[in-house]
Amino acid sequence: MKKIILTSIFSVMLLFMTAFVNQSDKGDRLKGVWEPSNGRARVKIEKIGKKYFGKIVWLKEAKDPKTGKPKTDKNNPDESMRDVPLRGYRMLKDFVYKGDDIWEDGTIYDPLNGSTYNCIIKMSDPNTLDIRGYIGVEALGRTDVWKRLKIKKKKKSKK
Amino acid sequence: MCSLLHAQVDSTEYTDDEEDYSMYDDLDFAEEGAKRYCSPKIEGLSPAKLIYFGYDAMSPYSMSLDSLTTKDGQTTYDSYEEKEIMLTHGIRLGCNIPVISKNSIVWQMGLNYWETRFEGADGRTPNIVMQQHANTFRTLGINTTLFKPLDDKQFILFQGSADLNGDYTFSDIMSLKYLKYSAAVLWGKRPSEKTQWAVGLARTYRVGELNYIPVIMYNWTDVENKWGAEVLFPARAKVRRTINPRNMLLAGFELQGQSYRLYKDPTLRNEDLEIRRGEIRLGIDYQFSLKNFIWISAQAGYRINYRYDVDRLENGNEIYRAFGLLSDAPYAMENSLNNPLYFNVSLNLVSP
Repeated sequence: MKKIILTSIFSVMLLFMTAFVNQSDKGDRLKGVWEPSNGRARVKIEKIGKKYFGKIVWLKEAKDPKTGKPKTDKNNPDESMRDVPLRGYRMLKDFVYKGDDIWEDGTIYDPLNGSTYNCIIKMSDPNTLDIRGYIGVEALGRTDVWKRLKIKKKKKSKK
Repeated sequence: MCSLLHAQVDSTEYTDDEEDYSMYDDLDFAEEGAKRYCSPKIEGLSPAKLIYFGYDAMSPYSMSLDSLTTKDGQTTYDSYEEKEIMLTHGIRLGCNIPVISKNSIVWQMGLNYWETRFEGADGRTPNIVMQQHANTFRTLGINTTLFKPLDDKQFILFQGSADLNGDYTFSDIMSLKYLKYSAAVLWGKRPSEKTQWAVGLARTYRVGELNYIPVIMYNWTDVENKWGAEVLFPARAKVRRTINPRNMLLAGFELQGQSYRLYKDPTLRNEDLEIRRGEIRLGIDYQFSLKNFIWISAQAGYRINYRYDVDRLENGNEIYRAFGLLSDAPYAMENSLNNPLYFNVSLNLVSP
């Protein structure tokens, strides 16, 4: 009898753990390199702890035409951040997978005007994200569609 | 304020790792056949308003008024007279909410309510069409904007509106059969992130009476994001000086106008009269972020009267003059207005 109870408890725990891992795995589908609709940047989404973050890894116009130096976050309302390079900047922050292909609780930063918006991410298919930045309520916002990019594996150099 | 801004920043914003970024230079879409589309905006434009609440006012000016004879020729109201308008003012509010906002299509719907109150020097408003102490012209409208990118460079833009314009009151509102419809269709190109142009055709009441005119859109921002132009000619053309992304100054002109139905006065209601109102506003507009997405716009300038004439509809139909090319039918009343200064201030919730 004791063996049956222990087996049952273990099975239930295993079930919950499997469900949790599956949920976590589903959330990880957000990871990858994505291109916003304007094609001006590419953003790599990674998981740090239990949350998802996206950093700029490529810029169509990488250098400031005025200075000839790599672009920095010059529109940031915080003056101390204005010399920080845009490449490597985390513009998506704190997203949590909520199930049903939706990631919430995060923010998106627009380097063009230095504004940070509430944001919700929906995966409409494995290669397409609907990224909705909004102010307060979802209705007051704008959706941008991001497309997944294929990472080319580097050829190993022969020694 | 400063401490609040600092509180938003944390160490997760920048990753100082040794990643080889060159691996992201040459990538293809994972999905076969995925397309890039051009955006409806360019860099550096003044922010689009999701919700606005404003107040508009003009300094005193004089109005020279013609006489008006009824359809049956039995009654003539007022002889030629000149009156002082001490204050012309009213609230302006509206919203533009995105309904569909995707790369391949952007569709917005909006509502607007504008009013213009006239207050005369002698405690009464000045003419036959303004016999009340403070007569008010109202515009209650609905509008839509559709942006359809064809690819990463070309797009089609459609704007349409239906407005109920007149001196009606909300307790005695006009029938929807008096709606005035305006629309514009443009085809354009967006050759870079800082330039966008389009050409098209508009049906408009901007100068008071119905017209079909060609329109040109041109939006441009310079390399340093300091100077720019925002043009939808002939409706408006403005030069923009960006002090920083939260602070900008625009200068230029804007055409404003509508065709207002004279409805309130029972004796005039069946006369089929409409005021063809058109004005040119030359001025400056200072826009700045009060806090985050709340922006203030403060405008001042000189209002040039273009038209304030009364037209009598022919069998309920508007007279389409095409600037005198198709018809030289006289107006029922030809009035003229002096040119005052105008002021406008609005509180806006701006779009991401």
